[in-house]
Amino acid sequence: MSRQPNSDEPREIAHPEQFVFTPPIDIYETEQGLVLYADLPGVSVNSLELQVQDNKLTLLGRVEPQIPEGARPLHKEYEVGNYLRSFILSGEIIHSQIEAKLANGVLRIFLPKAPKAEPRRIQVNTG
Amino acid sequence: MPIFRWEQSWNPLRDLEREVDRLIQGVEFSVQGIRMPRQYPAVNIFELDHEFLITAELPGMQVEDLDLTIANGVLTLKGHRNPPVIDEGEIPEERFRRQERPFGEWQRSISIPDRISEEHLSAEFNDGVLKIHLPKLEEELPRQIPVSSGE
Repeated sequence: MSRQPNSDEPREIAHPEQFVFTPPIDIYETEQGLVLYADLPGVSVNSLELQVQDNKLTLLGRVEPQIPEGARPLHKEYEVGNYLRSFILSGEIIHSQIEAKLANGVLRIFLPKAPKAEPRRIQVNTG
Repeated sequence: MPIFRWEQSWNPLRDLEREVDRLIQGVEFSVQGIRMPRQYPAVNIFELDHEFLITAELPGMQVEDLDLTIANGVLTLKGHRNPPVIDEGEIPEERFRRQERPFGEWQRSISIPDRISEEHLSAEFNDGVLKIHLPKLEEELPRQIPVSSGE
């Protein structure tokens, strides 16, 4: 059962039916925000979909088998498949300023944090 | 409520992510953990009519950091993968919320399944996937050896 995307709704990332892997990731925090690295071997810029909807960040990397036709497998340690991982973002991330860069099969996503508001003194008036 | 499978109980957080995904999307899909114990890098070996093809997953490697050598029918791959913080300088351990990607020195030797032309070996590296082409040697025709009589 899959929902059909409506033209006026944000496009839903379709789940592929072949192998789906959870890519290994690193996340660390800086003063400015969170930095996320994900290993996505075989994924190019054209085959990567990143989406933020509500507070959910979804990455889907599609990998096409690049083996020539007629190649007979002699030894197999990994499957070729797609990568999928979702994250729930906290309210302090500025969704509109998320940056992503893909190089050599590694995705780097920068998730900027909104600057903390200065504490404001509230005047209490006597009745 | 989803019930976690026992073999994946070592990582409840990841399981939770998957189960949430499944509930939201309502779609079943096959999942295979990427962190199962295995040699690094993972390789696949294929045979074609004219060559053997080895593929290896090496995300984040640079071509200049890859070292491929072949001797006596054994191909050796060597390299070093930098930690992710190289762009930003040293990041203290406590800043990491999650660290799952491997880094450091690695080396792997693979026996070549048959006779190949070592001079014509070639390799390409794209999107973190290394492909090594090992062309087969031309089959030698049987050579007649003349036998002389002892007379």
